[in-house]
Amino acid sequence: APLGFTDVNLNSRNTYEVSRRRSAPEHLPHGGTAPAEPAPPPAEPAERARHRVGIAGAGSSFAEFFTRNFFTKRTKELKPAVQSAPGWKLFGKVPPRENLPKDSKIIQQEYEARTGRMYKPPPPSARRKNIEFEPLSTTALILEDRPANLPAKSVEEALRHRQEYDEMVAEAKKREIKEAHKRKKIMRERFKQEENIASAMVIWVNEILPNWEGMRATRRVRELWWQGLPPSVRGKVWSLAVGNELNITPELYEIFLSRAKERWKSFSETSSENDTEDAGASVADREASLELIKLDISRTFPSLYIFQKGGPYHDLLHSVLGAYTCYRPDVGYVQGMSFIAAVLILNLEEADAFIAFANLLNKPCQLAFFRVDHSMMLKYFAAFEVFFEENLPKLFLHFKSYSLTPDIYLIDWIFTLYSKSLPLDLACRVWDVFCRDGEEFLFRTGLGILRLYEDILLQMDFIHIAQFLTKLPEDITSEKLFSCIAAIQMQNSNKKWAQVFASLMKDNKEGDKNHSPAPKS
Amino acid sequence: MAWVVTQGTSLEEPRPSYMYKMVLLGSMSVGKSSLAYRYMRNDFRELLPTVGCSFFMQTLQLDEATVKFEIWDTAGQEKYQSVCHLYYRDAHAALLVYDIANKQTLSRAKLWLEELEKRFLPDEIVIALVGNKTDLAAEREVTSEEGEEFARTKGLLFMETSAKSNYQVNDVFMAVVQELLRREKEKASKPSSRGRSTVELRASRVVTRCC
Repeated sequence: APLGFTDVNLNSRNTYEVSRRRSAPEHLPHGGTAPAEPAPPPAEPAERARHRVGIAGAGSSFAEFFTRNFFTKRTKELKPAVQSAPGWKLFGKVPPRENLPKDSKIIQQEYEARTGRMYKPPPPSARRKNIEFEPLSTTALILEDRPANLPAKSVEEALRHRQEYDEMVAEAKKREIKEAHKRKKIMRERFKQEENIASAMVIWVNEILPNWEGMRATRRVRELWWQGLPPSVRGKVWSLAVGNELNITPELYEIFLSRAKERWKSFSETSSENDTEDAGASVADREASLELIKLDISRTFPSLYIFQKGGPYHDLLHSVLGAYTCYRPDVGYVQGMSFIAAVLILNLEEADAFIAFANLLNKPCQLAFFRVDHSMMLKYFAAFEVFFEENLPKLFLHFKSYSLTPDIYLIDWIFTLYSKSLPLDLACRVWDVFCRDGEEFLFRTGLGILRLYEDILLQMDFIHIAQFLTKLPEDITSEKLFSCIAAIQMQNSNKKWAQVFASLMKDNKEGDKNHSPAPKS
Repeated sequence: MAWVVTQGTSLEEPRPSYMYKMVLLGSMSVGKSSLAYRYMRNDFRELLPTVGCSFFMQTLQLDEATVKFEIWDTAGQEKYQSVCHLYYRDAHAALLVYDIANKQTLSRAKLWLEELEKRFLPDEIVIALVGNKTDLAAEREVTSEEGEEFARTKGLLFMETSAKSNYQVNDVFMAVVQELLRREKEKASKPSSRGRSTVELRASRVVTRCC
């Protein structure tokens, strides 16, 4: 619906504002409430408040906020107002209408009218309160009198029906109360979680970030880190943890960006004339890269509607990726990168996002994958399998029996750092610890996922496993996944990941062409 | 050629079961995933770019056989080419997809064909050339005749499709299945054909389900 779309754009700009503020902790207003925002949409005040404080459950960030907001609106719009329910008649001559709503309230009303009890609609406020305890069923049906052409109910029968009905109502009430309790408990837990994150944020801002180098490796910080970074400091911590080995400055970014812009300009001027038959030419290649970026941006987190053309982050994503292809023509643009850049853009300012992006992709593992250096990738897969066998021997054998190799699922996971395969908030939590522990954590996460779904996977054959792992269930939760990851031991007969990997590298004698240094800037 | 999974056990007549692997190859954004999605779900929507490979599985109950159909939908970017052999290895069929509104993608499909010809004997794999996006007729850069002519000289199946407007998508998949089954029959009627089969290669992936 076009109407829905403008709505979303408007919203996204507001969230954009919020996140910008969030990403700069020093600008955080005390008490955590943001200053007045331009025309906040009225819908879902609780949701907004949560986000304004910036503690939305370690990152039920953006994505969730966004999609939820969007969809609630849509469903509201779609729901037609069929309040004028037609008369309820089960056995009569009136043919049942299509989609006749079985409204329990109406049934109850009729019943009460018949039994003499007056039905008086409760005042709207009380009604709202009571709604949890009202049985929402059509059990009143059994209290209907029989139609005239059938013998009437006997007194006992009527009584029994009455009693059954009362029991059902009581049962339903009990159930509803139980559910209400459950809801309350969930709310309490969520509240507690938010409090935890809020207090964690204070610790990060006041204690850790000012003493970063001294504290980053301490046990306390590492533990706090594992719990998930508060969204307001997430970008900052990622930046610090990834580092800037390449010494990229914001000015340098501007230089590469303007170079990219020049190239786009000349590209769009000549693109229509460009009909080269040979697909190998490097000029055509580079231009294809630009074209490809354009194509992929529109396909990056499409459900968020922020990276698409006209969305608030479209140009940013374009800029960061374009500047990168100018900065590292030897790597260029590779599909999967747009997701990484997008996640960084959601958490960092433009230049900082670029700096983190370039440095992140310069890590040996990322470089191997984004250069699609197959022999190096095989080393990583082999190291992964060492720990796979160690941690999940049964599943390992099951996969072996189908010759199911890790490339089937790991390529997607490693290329996009899980941002395409896991829900965004969960992916951010994986990134948190990836920034803490390095590449090893990417593979540990993979094993955590396998562990989480081990029982299901053991029942599946090759194609179903492949299908399952390349499209993970959407209801995967961070608690479950992280407890599975925690259970994965990255020790193989006293050797750690780095040692296992190094010994695999040693086996290979011609593994030296893979570490070409980054260009001097 | 394909692994015969089980013989049918119904009382009327035994119906053979086959498992085939089909791989979708072609430039990025020509609509490989969309074709698979249309075929599997009969729907069209904006899909994420494929990184690595994604997988679909379809079981077809045909008159003459039960066919288990694995679809391997690969990433289109050229840079991924060095890992692509992982995906088309042991395939029984390939769809070489190009975009009729982008001439370069046809050249790319031709390169894919060369690659496959290096790895497979002609009777080992059924290849179909697919010109997708007929809904973009106004921007057409490759004529139907050009695609058809190329397919004919190379002995490929050919079809133009539109995943968006659901034009001939099912047909192209069915045409491939029919061709696979036709070859299966041909082989059965010539029992002493050369022994090189893919069965051994794939024996580790036998499906034991009964039907």
